[in-house]
Amino acid sequence: MSPDALKRGIRLLLPPIFWLGVWQLAAHLVGRELLLPGPVTVFRALGKLMQTRDFWLSAGLSMLRVFAGLTWGTIAGSLLALATHFSQWANAVLAPAVRMVRATPVVSFILLVYLWVSRAAIPAVISGMMVLPVVWGAVSSGLAGTDPALLEMGTAYRFSPWKQLRLIYLPSCRGPFISGLLTAFGLAWKSGIAAEVLCPPTHAVGTKLQAAKVALETADLFAWTLVVAALSLLLEKGLRLILERRAEK
Amino acid sequence: MITCRDLCFRYGEKTVLDYFNLTLPEEGITALSGPSGCGKTTLLRLIGGLQRADSGEILGVSPNEIAFLFQEDRLLPWRRVQQHITDVLPRNRRGEAGRWLAFAELEGEAKSLPGELSGGMARRLALARCAALGGKYLLLDEPFAGVDAERAVRMLQRLRDMGTPVLLASHQAQILAQADWVIKLDGPPLRVCSD
Repeated sequence: MSPDALKRGIRLLLPPIFWLGVWQLAAHLVGRELLLPGPVTVFRALGKLMQTRDFWLSAGLSMLRVFAGLTWGTIAGSLLALATHFSQWANAVLAPAVRMVRATPVVSFILLVYLWVSRAAIPAVISGMMVLPVVWGAVSSGLAGTDPALLEMGTAYRFSPWKQLRLIYLPSCRGPFISGLLTAFGLAWKSGIAAEVLCPPTHAVGTKLQAAKVALETADLFAWTLVVAALSLLLEKGLRLILERRAEK
Repeated sequence: MITCRDLCFRYGEKTVLDYFNLTLPEEGITALSGPSGCGKTTLLRLIGGLQRADSGEILGVSPNEIAFLFQEDRLLPWRRVQQHITDVLPRNRRGEAGRWLAFAELEGEAKSLPGELSGGMARRLALARCAALGGKYLLLDEPFAGVDAERAVRMLQRLRDMGTPVLLASHQAQILAQADWVIKLDGPPLRVCSD
């Protein structure tokens, strides 16, 4: 192994080893697995969970719900941004409502939506509601930042409104849209899981978290939390790769 | 024939045009020359309908009959060279894109993005896009800035062959020498020194 590869390997492994050590030490000092199980116990619990069909079903359905929320929130946020940018009336009516959604705590929405839709649909509805204002803000700032010189060119060269949108406005929004979508994804994931905890559907990561808490299965609680964090990181990385590849094209 | 009658235009406190009058030839290539900042670009923008005069009138042409080349290239960084041409052509004339790339001597760059072009190439593409758009009149603001003299003269000849009257603003001596008419301007406020 070359010295550079060795250095890279150490740099990659050192932080997780350090934090696992801190975790093990803290668990040892606390001395009660019910309050703080050590990493070995948690990874053993995770291993057991991964052998069950329910684990994969719950993780898969949770991802599906979050992606459903991300999809409708992105579409609605983008359409609203177009409406509020191009119509003063739409801006006067809709912009305060979107800002209100952005300012309202997610828990309030979860409890309200619980009254209106089925439990299985709540995480997708909540994820979408968290995504919508972020995407709206990103697309709005992209539209507002469109180069006026290019717009003047489009008008002088007799571009139709659709052509102006397709060739000038939308490409100008690409950068803010991608960074907004990545931020929105993190929010969608966290709020979707929170909705699953408060309004547990049949198969869901949030439901399992809640069940582990009620049964005082702290190791399982930690294991599911690890699953949530790992999935969030992996999916965000995947989404970033896809968006960057599309932007390069 | 384009006629500017008693045109007045101010930028804040600065008077750019003060009862300016001019009649332009109906055919051939007419060049406007004059020092930077004298008001040539403003005059072209007013004729092209991109700005409105404070008073006065422009007769003989409407903005949707004009193809305007801006002083800056104003290319779309995300569109390829050939797409810039097809973007301004109606659907039934998209096959002409190759002809316009040849006009700009950019046949080998059809798939390039504007960021991959030199300054002169970008200028030629902007000019080809404007010419492809076409109209009753071509208004060109510094059309050959950054283009080498020989190529500029060749492209000017191709513009002449199109038969569309051209009004251009330029500082380049070799372009002025090829024009059918040269109108020398001074200002601001803009005034005709000689034609």
